Amino acid sequence: MQPHLKRAFTLLALVIIAFILVRSLVVPESFGQYGWYRGASVNELRDLPVNYAGSTSCGEENCHQIIYSVWVKDRHKTVNCETCHGPAEKHVLNAREPLTPANDTRDYCGKCHSKGIARPELFPQIDQETHGQDLRCVYCHNPHKPWFV
Amino acid sequence: MDISRREFTKIGCKVIIGATAGTAIVESFIINSIGAENSNAQGGYDWENHFWGYVIDTTKCIGCGRCANACKLENKVPFDEEVYRTWIERYRVKKTSLETREEEVVIDSPNGGIDEFVDDIPAEEINKAFYVPKICNHCDNAPCVQVCPVGATFVTKDGVVLVDYEYCIGCRYCIQGCPYGARYFNIEKGTADKCTWCYHRITKGLLPACVQACPTGARKFGDLKDNNSEVKKIIDEERINLLKPDLGTKPKVFYIGLDREVK
Amino acid sequence: MLENLIWGYVYPNESEIQWSILIVLYPYITGLVAGAFIASSLYHVFGKKEIRPVARFALLTALSFLLVAMLPLLVHLGRPERGIEIMFTPHLTSAMSGFGYIFSFYLIIVVLEIWLSFREDIVKTALSSHGWKELLYSSLALFSFDISEKALHDDENFARKLAIIGIPSAAFLHGYVGFIFGGIKANPWWSTPLMPIIFLMSAIVSGIALLILIYIVAMKIRKHAIDHKCLQSLAHYLWIFLILDVTLELLEIISMKYASREDIDIINRLLSDKIAFTFWGVQLTLGIFIPFVLLLMVSLMKKRDTLKLIMISISSIFVVIGVFAMRWNVVIGGQEISKSLVGTLTYVPVFFSQEGVLPAIIIFILPFIILRVVTSILPPWKDMDEETPELTKVSKT
Repeated sequence: MQPHLKRAFTLLALVIIAFILVRSLVVPESFGQYGWYRGASVNELRDLPVNYAGSTSCGEENCHQIIYSVWVKDRHKTVNCETCHGPAEKHVLNAREPLTPANDTRDYCGKCHSKGIARPELFPQIDQETHGQDLRCVYCHNPHKPWFV
Repeated sequence: MDISRREFTKIGCKVIIGATAGTAIVESFIINSIGAENSNAQGGYDWENHFWGYVIDTTKCIGCGRCANACKLENKVPFDEEVYRTWIERYRVKKTSLETREEEVVIDSPNGGIDEFVDDIPAEEINKAFYVPKICNHCDNAPCVQVCPVGATFVTKDGVVLVDYEYCIGCRYCIQGCPYGARYFNIEKGTADKCTWCYHRITKGLLPACVQACPTGARKFGDLKDNNSEVKKIIDEERINLLKPDLGTKPKVFYIGLDREVK
Repeated sequence: MLENLIWGYVYPNESEIQWSILIVLYPYITGLVAGAFIASSLYHVFGKKEIRPVARFALLTALSFLLVAMLPLLVHLGRPERGIEIMFTPHLTSAMSGFGYIFSFYLIIVVLEIWLSFREDIVKTALSSHGWKELLYSSLALFSFDISEKALHDDENFARKLAIIGIPSAAFLHGYVGFIFGGIKANPWWSTPLMPIIFLMSAIVSGIALLILIYIVAMKIRKHAIDHKCLQSLAHYLWIFLILDVTLELLEIISMKYASREDIDIINRLLSDKIAFTFWGVQLTLGIFIPFVLLLMVSLMKKRDTLKLIMISISSIFVVIGVFAMRWNVVIGGQEISKSLVGTLTYVPVFFSQEGVLPAIIIFILPFIILRVVTSILPPWKDMDEETPELTKVSKT
């Protein structure tokens, strides 16, 4: 082969080798551990912080046991405490962490209970205009024991 | 054997370069391409023991939007941007004239369902109306995973499709590839983002935030490897459907009561 | 304002269009590269002597655009500093993963081609100059100054082999971009097996048209006569590839309409409303039918070189605009329909924005500047002188 071609190819070979060396330094170690991705990210994603604690945490001993025992027997037991009271994991870990006060406006209860054409027929819905004058719903309905009017 | 110093240096250099290159090649390519059957057991959770599935019962959804709201709070998804990991659609099928026989369907999703659905069409004009919660389907044959050019999104052993935020280059090919509109671009991170089925919760025995928030049981989550789980029973015994099954993505969100109008 | 931008129902995550004008620009630029290279191969591989005057010039054009091809993508990435991952860990199930290696491979081939075809000139310049100029040209020659008959002959043989590999590489470089779109089953406007070949045909068309335009402009600047035989030969090839291009583009639309699947309603809306003007008006009429008629007339007419020159110029300008519209219609058009298949969005290009019109304009001007620099280091002008020696330095053609 002509000398100039040899030089060209040597140059090319050097570039390729340099590339391979850089690659072996830069690509993260855990890449390819379980598949074509960075294995370490699985654990990273598992370790993200939890914000919702779940209702059972609220009803623990020495916490909100009484209201929990009322709530868990009535219709709103399917409504998570944190749906109205906000994410509470921080509060569960440290009781001094305040929660935002629950939204007890007509509009908030209406998010579920105002009449909607697409809502299933048997779901309890009321016409906001005519039901309960303009009072807040909690005036008559205990949100933790809603059928007790 | 008589070699001159020059010859020796030439051969020596070639050997060193060849050996370095060879080792680098072996280490870089061959080791990385072995998708090892390594188990990943961390803190008592072994992903070999679980395979997650999701069921949505559209007959129960009341469109309250608490799921979409809880998801944003749990996963720090911005409220002021139009990006959603899960959302609710409302379908209102209007009465059709006998001539056209075409169903006119009005579909809406105000702020993903977090804001109220307004009844602005008179009830007399509507035949049927219902809500359909939507979420990432965590497809077994995910087109988003297929099209990622660098390997920043993947399916875990327990069936969850995740995004590696430290590796994604933000090309947005996966967003184009998802037929369900489940992915979005996270401006703060500069990467793609999507529902993770609250991977950080389910690997600790908790439920995803949306499932926990749902007050009517329209959303259900469970382990398909557990014969006693509710989702496994539903999938085995009830009549269920998938979104866009003809695309072959093998979604793992199973719908009860999926109407033909659902997009 | 917002209501006009969205019609029907679009998935909540679709409210913002993800791939902007920069992503329209990328296939446009690689298309020009592929086209210019194919034009050059008409001489280097297929031995069409009429193309010889512009063969090396075409290679330089290809290189200038190739060097800029990566820019629109880098600017678009959410995390451009991680862009190199495409070369380190390409996920081979993805069409886009081919970018790193296909681009690099093709760049090496083009650089080698240029180097081999210019080597004689480089060595001669190196031997006859001094100071930094001598250093520059000597390094370009890799400090090897053999330009004997045998060396040049070997060079030519090797260059031809390279050009033969170069043609499928050019096809790959642009075909894979077509496949990036064609393989997305989620999008009915993109999903078709014809996409790579449609992209390739329109690439060749745009490359040849651009070459014609740059050639005419360069000759005007240098006050040099235009080789009409070469120009009309290029125009003839442009005409042939235009026919192939339009056949494929129309075939796609006709197939969709014929099959009339679930997505036909939204496709109809796209073609009659969202991209009606850019598709029927710019891409087809301006970009294909008018040039088709003009170039047909050019090939039928006898003599009348000046008139032909004007018609060829106009056709080339229209083609270059038309192919840009084609890329726009694919990239933007495909995103203007929602995956719900019952809604449309609108792309509103912003001028001053990271992914806006201004960066696009800057990126598109760059190759011309690079070409100017490259042609002063490696001038291809003597190819054109040799064909028309008696017309050199004549200001009026």
